Amino acid sequence: MTRRVVITGLGVVSPVGKNTTEFFDNLMAGRSGISVSRASFADKLSIRISAQVRDYNPADHFSKIKLTGIERFSQFALIAAEQAVKDAQLLLSEQELHRAGVYMGSGMGGATTLEEGYVEIFQRENPRIKPLSVLLGMNNAAASHLSLAYHLQGPNVTFATACASSAIAIGEAYRKIKDGYADVMLAGGSESLLTQGIIKAWEALRTLAREDEHDPAASCKPFAKDRSGLVLGEGAAVLVLEDAERAVKRGAHIYAEIAGYDCSSDASHISKPDYVGQTRAILGALHNAEMDPQDIHYINAHGTATLAGDIEETKAIKQSMGDHAYRVPVTSTKSMHGHLMGATGAVEFIAAVLALEHQAIPPTINLHQPDPECDLDYVPNVGRRGVELNAVMSNSFAFGGTNAVLIARRFEK
Amino acid sequence: MSTLETIQRMMVEQFDLKAADLTPDAQLEALGLDSLSIIEFMFNIEDEFHIKLPDERVEIKTVHDIASIVERMVTEQKAAS
Repeated sequence: MTRRVVITGLGVVSPVGKNTTEFFDNLMAGRSGISVSRASFADKLSIRISAQVRDYNPADHFSKIKLTGIERFSQFALIAAEQAVKDAQLLLSEQELHRAGVYMGSGMGGATTLEEGYVEIFQRENPRIKPLSVLLGMNNAAASHLSLAYHLQGPNVTFATACASSAIAIGEAYRKIKDGYADVMLAGGSESLLTQGIIKAWEALRTLAREDEHDPAASCKPFAKDRSGLVLGEGAAVLVLEDAERAVKRGAHIYAEIAGYDCSSDASHISKPDYVGQTRAILGALHNAEMDPQDIHYINAHGTATLAGDIEETKAIKQSMGDHAYRVPVTSTKSMHGHLMGATGAVEFIAAVLALEHQAIPPTINLHQPDPECDLDYVPNVGRRGVELNAVMSNSFAFGGTNAVLIARRFEK
Repeated sequence: MSTLETIQRMMVEQFDLKAADLTPDAQLEALGLDSLSIIEFMFNIEDEFHIKLPDERVEIKTVHDIASIVERMVTEQKAAS
């Protein structure tokens, strides 16, 4: 059994917007969500910049009773899912709920809860911590809260493949429907890891961007000669994926069809990206979609703005696409929303799907000094409207060596 | 402030409940609390009253149930110390 799979709902909570309209408008305008942290511990950080979800008040979305059991990363997931389900106008019968599931990605899960627990035990020497710590902090809490909120009784799985987690979640959910194991899936990712301890760990790894001395918001500079690393971010994105026949029958608005997906492992280094493995994932996704490189009209790159990462990805695009690599626009929207880790693949795939929906390509901002080793069309600084896009690709390449590539194309019956 | 009043104040603060709804016989479930939020609340109760609740499961269904277990533990543990 092989079926077509379409996207009928989108939801996003991000540093550049807490709904899809605000999110895409800001991306197109080249507005950055990166700023100097206002956290209470900011003065203890060597790198103070991050991409936080701004003006977020949990009480606007949840009662105090609910908040007792829902961690920040699960809150983001629930808000994004609510948008996506509403957007899809999804109504499922008792019977249909048995064949509806949720796949989410998260790198660090309930990092805030974990760290609060450590502070209580080790710093305040409190012999006990909150009784719900396990349930708040577990990596699969967000997915499980979505299952509970919408009574989804099909598969409920959380993927932890670092920066590729939510791209994998979407790809595997697509396969679940395509192969006939489910009819509707919520798929995406959620991350909230801007805690003192985790930022310190990232500082120690020396992959974070230096703060731009003139404009902290411009600190993330993918593909630019003066790039210095990634900027940590937080947020969530959720998509409603649906069997195409079902979506057409109920007259749903269809954003796009998921045309292809593949994942590969570098098996070469725990953190150093490798264009060979990345190339295999790109070619695998094209093969799965039965498409040629020239069918891809836009690539939302992984583009972390690390020195090695951007060069390897550029090589992988050239290796897999040949001459077309120089014609296809490639952007890193991370320059604006930062690196949302386990949520980043889903956030960027939504950016790519909205590019298809609006026939508009968001820019890579802060790209003023080209790097000779990064010589593709990165749509520097200014977005493009009125373009003709039929299919788009989103790359996610993770620490640990996991590479995931998703392809979406305009849906035709 | 009586034990009951302290508990009512804590419930208002922690859960945004209306004081008027927190009569002694009010069912916790009807107030919107589930077993997990009750566990979290009892954890805070231990801090507030400087008591240790018994390890065995105690039936807690109403606001009054909370007050009576707290009063019992305060008395028992004061006597023991």
